[in-house]
Amino acid sequence: MENVFKNLYNYRELLKTSVKKEVRSKYKNSFLGVLWSFLNPLLQIAVYALIFSLILKNDQPHYAVFLCCGLIPWTFFSSAINKAAFTFIENGNIIKKVYFPREIIPISVVTGETVNFLISTIIILGFVIFGGIGISKYILLYPIVLIAQYLIILAISFIVSSICVYLRDLQHFIGIALQLLFYAAPIVYSSSSIPADYQWILKYNPMTYIINAYRDIFYNQTMIDLRHILIVFGIGILGCIIGYVIFNKLQKGFAEQL
Amino acid sequence: MQGQEVDYKIVVDNVYKTFNVYLDKANTIKEKLLFLFSRNRKEKREVLKGINLKIKKGEVVALIGTNGSGKSTLLKLMTKIIYPNKGKIITDGKLTSLLELGAGFHPDFSGRENIYFNASIFGLTKKEIDDRLEDIIEFSELRPYIDNPVRTYSSGMYMRLAFAVAINVDADILLIDEILSVGDEHFQNKCFAKMLELKEKGKTMVFVTHSMQSVKKLCDRAVWLCNGEIKMDGNTNEVVEEYIKQTA
Repeated sequence: MENVFKNLYNYRELLKTSVKKEVRSKYKNSFLGVLWSFLNPLLQIAVYALIFSLILKNDQPHYAVFLCCGLIPWTFFSSAINKAAFTFIENGNIIKKVYFPREIIPISVVTGETVNFLISTIIILGFVIFGGIGISKYILLYPIVLIAQYLIILAISFIVSSICVYLRDLQHFIGIALQLLFYAAPIVYSSSSIPADYQWILKYNPMTYIINAYRDIFYNQTMIDLRHILIVFGIGILGCIIGYVIFNKLQKGFAEQL
Repeated sequence: MQGQEVDYKIVVDNVYKTFNVYLDKANTIKEKLLFLFSRNRKEKREVLKGINLKIKKGEVVALIGTNGSGKSTLLKLMTKIIYPNKGKIITDGKLTSLLELGAGFHPDFSGRENIYFNASIFGLTKKEIDDRLEDIIEFSELRPYIDNPVRTYSSGMYMRLAFAVAINVDADILLIDEILSVGDEHFQNKCFAKMLELKEKGKTMVFVTHSMQSVKKLCDRAVWLCNGEIKMDGNTNEVVEEYIKQTA
């Protein structure tokens, strides 16, 4: 395990350039460039807000703000995992020809998406400021929640990215699974609006705790449930270890499978 | 008596490598399920059969042999791109390999950016690359074009840039697969000179090549691979002579 970190440290420059490439390539060759980082979530929020507040009536106050606190962290989660699923197939050329620690690829995908998420956080801030809610001191807890989410995403990405090399179908399943998970997390609705019989679905979804924490910070402006976040943190670390072990086993065959 | 300790840079210990050759590759679950019922879809091809090889520090070794004898596979195993089915390969020190020209070049990036990217793949830090940048550009003779995207480069220019990066990494072990044949006479000579210089410095190098001339000029030891086995291993001139005699 110690070796893993040493290796990553030795290859830090590659990690840095890969993250940069990851962030840059997203909006390369598009006319509006980095503006899409803002436009994309804004348009998404507009669509959902339209459907869930006008068509399916709901009485959540400041619904657009409520929504954006859930939707933007969710986009971080889903786009990172979606990307991780494809990343080795896209990078097959390099994998087959040069050696470097393979874990750099999923790590830079997730880190690149983290940078995008940080940019999108400006939108959340814009919403709470202009939505009349304001900013609270609890914003100091934002990094803790972010790290917990990062670990969870990284753990899943390790597993998904390496299995997808062997089983390309998984990519399609992931698309469907992410859509299911989207509705199984309190993004467009609040946890409390779910009947008791179905609460268990939310209970086993780590994204529930993460989204609730973001919402506590930005929307409710209350203390986050620290115990929940620490559990997610623990699961994230454990998941990263298990994920890495699986990844390391499977990566030995990458060059032959791609 | 066990004999004194020798500083081995590469140890290949009884290595076997088998490739599954899929006549029809099942990539999806549906296909995998279907293929469960129909056999003979894949063939096992044994590429390396029990290779034992020890390369000392400072040795320059050529791997020779006909097409399909397993030379490139052995080189790939040494770089850890692929892993053996049986046996072990241990390398000691920083390793750079040049298996294919410009692997990892990004066509839309400029030559300069690609130097950074390529060198970072070899495990160099920003500062180490900064220090070498001048040498690399100088060696590649691409100064006027260095800020153009590499997709505008000719294949010779591509090769020069790739080679300039790899050779300036300052690795302890350098693995090179059949690329010296590219480039004009002038650049080839330059590469030779540089490699001789590296040899003087005590770097360990392994080449795969079909050019017996360059083997004789550069290497002190040649290993002849034939059908996945080592047929002969020893002094360059003897091995090359025997090889030419038998394959002519």
